[in-house]
Amino acid sequence: MINFDYIKAVSAKAAIETRAKNPASQFIAGGTNMVDLMKKGVTAPELLIDITALPLRQITANANGISIGALALNSDVAEDQSVKTKFPLLAQALNAGASAQLRNMATVGGNIMQRTRCTYFYDTEMPCNKRAAGTGCGALEGYNRMHAIFGASNTCIAVHPSDMCVVLAALDATINIIGSKAERKIAFADFHRLPGDAPGLDNNLQPGELIESITIPNNNFNQSHYLKIRDRASFAFALISVAVALEVKDNIIKSARLAMGGVAHKPWRLTTTENFLTGKSISEKLFADAAVLSLQDAKTYQHNSFKIKLGKAAIIEALTIATK
Amino acid sequence: MNKQPNESRRSFLKNSTALAALTLAPSAIIKAAENDDKIASLFEKLPLQMEINGVPYKLTVEPRVTLLDLLREQLGLTGTKKGCDHGQCGACTVHIDGKRINSCLSLAVMNNGKKITTIEGLANGDNLHPMQEAFIKHDGFQCGYCTPGQIMSAVACIKEGHANSKEEIREFMSGNICRCGAYPNIVDAITEVKKGGQSL
Amino acid sequence: MEKDFFTESYFVDDRVDGADKVTGKATYSAEHKLDNMAYAVFVCSTIAKGSIENMIVSKAKNAPGVLDIIYYLNCPDVPGYNPYAKDPNKKGYEWRGLKVFADNLVYSNGQPIAMVIAETLEKATYAASLVKATYKEEKFDADFEKLKHDESKLKRMNEYKRGDADVYKTADIFVEGEYTLPYETHNPMEMHATIAVWDGDDKLTVYDKTQGPKSTQGALAANFNLDQKNVRVITEYVGGAFGAALRSWPNVPAACIAAKKLKRPVKLVLTREQMFTMVGYRPYAWQKIGIGATKDGKLTGITHHAVSNTSKYEDFGEGIVNASQFMYTCPNVNTSYKLLPLDVNTPTWMRGPGPATGCIALESALDELSYKLNIDPIELRLINHTDINPVNKLPWSSKFLKECYQLGKEKIGWQNRPMVPGSLKEDGMLVGYGMGVGVFGAGRGQASVKGILKDDGTLLLQSAVSDMGPGTSTAMVKIGAELMGISQNKVDFELGDSDLPPGPTQGGSGSTSAVGAAITAVCDAIKNNLKELTIAHAPAFKDIKVEGIEYENGELFIKENKSQKIHFVDLLKQADKPLIEIIKDSGRATAEASKYAMNSFSAHFIKLHVNPVTGVIKIKHIVSTADAGKIIAYNPARSQMVGGAVGGVGMALTEETLIDPRYGRYINANFADYHVPVHADIPEIDVLFADKPDLIINPMGSKGIGEIAIIGVAPAIINAVYNATGKRITELPITPDKLI
Repeated sequence: MINFDYIKAVSAKAAIETRAKNPASQFIAGGTNMVDLMKKGVTAPELLIDITALPLRQITANANGISIGALALNSDVAEDQSVKTKFPLLAQALNAGASAQLRNMATVGGNIMQRTRCTYFYDTEMPCNKRAAGTGCGALEGYNRMHAIFGASNTCIAVHPSDMCVVLAALDATINIIGSKAERKIAFADFHRLPGDAPGLDNNLQPGELIESITIPNNNFNQSHYLKIRDRASFAFALISVAVALEVKDNIIKSARLAMGGVAHKPWRLTTTENFLTGKSISEKLFADAAVLSLQDAKTYQHNSFKIKLGKAAIIEALTIATK
Repeated sequence: MNKQPNESRRSFLKNSTALAALTLAPSAIIKAAENDDKIASLFEKLPLQMEINGVPYKLTVEPRVTLLDLLREQLGLTGTKKGCDHGQCGACTVHIDGKRINSCLSLAVMNNGKKITTIEGLANGDNLHPMQEAFIKHDGFQCGYCTPGQIMSAVACIKEGHANSKEEIREFMSGNICRCGAYPNIVDAITEVKKGGQSL
Repeated sequence: MEKDFFTESYFVDDRVDGADKVTGKATYSAEHKLDNMAYAVFVCSTIAKGSIENMIVSKAKNAPGVLDIIYYLNCPDVPGYNPYAKDPNKKGYEWRGLKVFADNLVYSNGQPIAMVIAETLEKATYAASLVKATYKEEKFDADFEKLKHDESKLKRMNEYKRGDADVYKTADIFVEGEYTLPYETHNPMEMHATIAVWDGDDKLTVYDKTQGPKSTQGALAANFNLDQKNVRVITEYVGGAFGAALRSWPNVPAACIAAKKLKRPVKLVLTREQMFTMVGYRPYAWQKIGIGATKDGKLTGITHHAVSNTSKYEDFGEGIVNASQFMYTCPNVNTSYKLLPLDVNTPTWMRGPGPATGCIALESALDELSYKLNIDPIELRLINHTDINPVNKLPWSSKFLKECYQLGKEKIGWQNRPMVPGSLKEDGMLVGYGMGVGVFGAGRGQASVKGILKDDGTLLLQSAVSDMGPGTSTAMVKIGAELMGISQNKVDFELGDSDLPPGPTQGGSGSTSAVGAAITAVCDAIKNNLKELTIAHAPAFKDIKVEGIEYENGELFIKENKSQKIHFVDLLKQADKPLIEIIKDSGRATAEASKYAMNSFSAHFIKLHVNPVTGVIKIKHIVSTADAGKIIAYNPARSQMVGGAVGGVGMALTEETLIDPRYGRYINANFADYHVPVHADIPEIDVLFADKPDLIINPMGSKGIGEIAIIGVAPAIINAVYNATGKRITELPITPDKLI
C-alpha cells in the first residue's frame, strides 16, 4: 500500500467536501473491503476519509418501517430487536454473510458498496474491465463457476457478493443519499447497476455522494427464509442464495417477494415469479413452476451451468422452508 | 539513506493535509523531507493513542499500518497471529472495546482512543482465563497458531450470546480457521466454559 | 521390554506447551525480534514460462525506506547454485528446487523474481508493488486435464505386476472407474517465514519454519559453503505444516542472501498467496482403477493406473498406487504410475502422501463392488483381509485392522446403514453411511537424544526435531517420565534447535517411534549409570552387582532385599555428581524386524445427510479408528486423528486449488476462495484406537498416526454420499453442484 493520507471527518458535510476536492480519495468505515482491496492493489486511494465518527449509526423503528444508519454495524443490525422481530429475513441474511468478526467491523453502507469477489477483478495481473477498463473480462472464457447467469454483458460477468443486499432488494428498501448539492432517495433495486458497457460502475452513487441510511417499509410477510448455498457450511460466498418473503393466509399466497444472490451484478429481484405466486395456493407443483419461471432467462457460461439446476432447487427449498 | 528526488514522497506531501497546519511553504518542506527521513516521517506518521491490555500507548504510525502489524512488528505483541492478512482466517482476532474483530483489516490509526485486548491481556497475571484453561483441558489446538484467535473469538462468542448450542457455536466460530482440525475440541472447550457460567 | 507402556494416567496428558500456546507466548519463526532487522518482500512473476528481459526497479529503489532490491542481475554468488564452480568435472552440492534469483528464467507463474528489502514491512511491501518485469514469454503447459494422457509428455515412474495384468476384466463381477483429485494446498495457518542473521561471512543463524532443523541446517551449510557447525537453525514452534515444511522453499536461501548482502538481520515472511505459488502442494492426480471378484467376493484382479503432475524443473512422485498392491488378498495385481511435468511450481508431500490419493480410488471401487456383489463393504474387506503383505510376502509385525472395523462399526451404528442407496431418510434428509480404510508405512527412523538427569530430580531431554503440532514434546516427556518413574512436570523436552543432538525430520508419522526409541536407550543408559554409581557410593550396595539392582519410581534397590534403597537424587548428591549426561540414538529395529512388513492402519466411518432438493451435504458423525500401535500420549494422539478427519472432509468436500490454464496462474490463492473446512462443517468426531503395542518396531510399541488419520477419510465420505444418493462422485471435491 502507498502511504496514503488519512483524515477523520467530523461532519458529513466535511466528508463530502473533502471527497469532492480529492479525486484520489475514498471513504472508509469498517474497512473490511477497502483495506483488503488496497492490500491487493485493486484500489490505491491517496487519501482515506474516515467517516466512522459521523452520527449515522442509529437503528430506528417507527410506524412506517425501520431506518438503519449507514454506519450501523452488520452485527448490530442482526442483533437489533426490532430487526429480529419485524424483519427476521434481514437478520438471517446478515448472519449468513462473512464471519462474526467481519460483521462486527462492516457497516451497512459498506456492505452495500462492497465490490465483487471475482477472482479476475482481485488479481491486478489479470484482465478485468471492471478494474481496468478495456483490458477484457478474464472470467468470460475463464473459470466462471461463481459468475452471473442474469443480466451480464460481454464486458463483465461478475456478481455482487452481498447477502444483506438480496434481502433489502426483496423488501423494497430505499437508500437515502446525501451529496454536496442535495439529498436524494433511490429504490434499493435501482441502486446497483448491471455491467453493460461500463462495468467499472457498480452502482448509481455519484462521486461525492454518501449513503446516509436505508429505510425498509413495514410489511405483512408472515413467512420468510433466506437460503444460502455455498461451497462450505459457513464463511463462504454464495453459489446461489434466495430470499423469500411471503404473506400467506389460509394456504394462499397474498403477496410475495423473491430475490436471488450470486447470480447477477446486482441483487436479482424475481418480480415475474412474485406475480406468478400471488393469489395461488401453496403446493409442491406451484413451487416447482415458480422455480422454472425464475430461471427461464438465465444464461450460463462454461463452468456455471449448474446454477440453473441449483437455482431452481434453491427456490423450491427456500419456498418450502418459508412455508413449513 | 535515499538522496534521490522522491516521486512518491513528493506527491504524498503535496496532498498531505498535514501541510495545512504548518507555516512553512510547502515546497520548502518537500525539499527538506526528500533529504531527511526524520522530517519526512513527521508527515508520514500520525499520532495514535490507545489502551492495549490495560496499558496506555502513545504512538505515531503510518496510516497504512494495520492494527495487526502494529501489534506484531512494532509493539512486540506477537500473540496475535497473521494467517492470511485478508480477514479470511480469524488468526488475528482481537477485541476492540470488547468486540471481536480481524485486526488485519483494521487500520491502526482508526483505533484512536480505543481499548484493545489481545491474547496477552486475557489471563489475570499467572491465572489463566477460563477459556485458556478449557482449551488446554480439551486439547483445543495442535500447532497453536490459530489458538489465540480462536480463544479471543470464543470469549466473544459467549459474551455475544452465541454459544447456546454446539450448532450455534460452530456457526459463530466459523470465522476462525484451524488447519490442524481441532474444531470438535474447541467446541467442547467453549461449551464447558459457557456451562460454567464464569464471568469472562 | 515386556511390560505394557503407560499403565497410569493414560488419558490425562495436557500438552506440555499448552500454556505457551493459549497465552500467545509461544514464539513462531517470524516472531523473533532482532535488533536492526530489515524486512524483505518477494516480487513474483506474472507469466508461466519464459525469461525476464528487463527488471524495472527505479521507482521501487526511490521509494522511502528501501535498502536494496535483489534479483538475478545483482544476486551475490551462491555456491549451491554453481555445483561445478569448484571442479568442472565433478558436480558439487546443488540447491534442490528453484534457485531463486540465480538467473532470469521463469518456470511458473508466481515464482519469486526479485526481493525488496526495506526498513519496515509496509515500506518493503509497497516498494515490491512498484517493481515490474518485462518478459520474453514462451509456450507453456498448465492444463493437466488436457495433457494427462499425452504420452509424449508423460514420464514413466514405475510399474508393478503380480500374476496377470487386467484380470479384473474377466472376473464374475467387476467395477471400473476413473478418479480425479485436484491440486490441494497444505495451507498451514502459519505462513513460511525465515529470519536470517550472519555473524561475519561464515556464521549463519536462521529462524525458520521447518519440519527438520537438521535437514535445513545441512542444506544451508552446503548451499552457502559453510561449516555445518557454523549454521544454526532454530524452529521453536511450528504453526502447522502437513508436509509443507519438509524441505526449504525459496524464502530460506533468499533471506540468507539478503542478510548477507545487507549485513543485518532480514526477515522474510511469505504471503498467503505465496504459500500457493512457491510452497509445494498435493499433486493433481488422475487414476483409473478396476477391481474384479468372484461372486462370493474374493478379489481376483486389481488394476490401478495413476498420473500425477510435477513441475518442469523437478520430479516429484509419490506412492499413489502402492496400497492397491498390498492392502487386500488378490492374486493378480498390476499398477502403473506416471508423472506429467507442467509449467507450475513443484508439488511436495502433503499429509498421507500417496495413499491419501490412491485409497480414494481403491476404497471407492471396493465400495462400488460391494453393491454389485450385494455384500456389506466391511464384510467384503474381511473376506479379502490378509495378515501377510502380498508384495513382499512378509507377515505384518502387527495388524489390528479387523479390530478397527469392529470398533468403528459399533460406534457409527453401521446396522442402520441402508443396503439400497437413497432408501433412508431422517428429518427429510437422505442418510448415508460409508467407510474407508487407510494405511501408511511404519518403522523406526534415526534419532539421537541427549538426556540430562539432575540432582534436583529433573530430567532434561534434547533432540533437534520440530513439533508442528502432533504433540511430540508431550509424548516425549511422557516417555521420559514413565521410564524414569518420575512425574511429568519433572521432565522437559527441548527441541527445535539444530545445535541439539540430531533428530529426524518430522514427517511420515515417524517422530514418536524414532525419538521415543532414542529416549528409551538414553533412560536405560542413565539407569545403568545410576546402578554403577550406587555400587560406588551407597555403602549398602557395595557388594552388589549391577544385575542385582533394580530401578523403580526414581529409586534404586537391591533385588534380594527391597528395604535397601536409595533415591537417585540422594545418590547423585552422595556421589557429588550434580548430573548425569548421556547421548544415545534410536538404534536399528531388531534383526527380527526385517522379517516383517510394518504399517499403521486406519478405518474411518461416516454418517451424513444429503438435502434431497439442493444436494447440500451435512456430515453428522465421524468415527475414526486406528491401529497405530501403543498410544503414547492419548490427548494429542486423539487430536491428530480428529485433525486428519477434518483434513479428509476438506479433501472430499471443499478443497481445490485452481490454476487458470490460459495463464498458468493460481486463481484462488487465498482463504476465501480455497475452502478449508470451518467449524460449521465439522460434526462430533469419535476416535477409537486398537491400542495394541508393536514391540518389533520400537520399545514403546508405537506406530505412527499423522498420515493414517487422513488416509481413507475422503473415500469414506464418497461412499457415504453414494449410500445416501446413489451417485458415485469421482471428481473431488463434492461441491453442491455435483449432487444436483
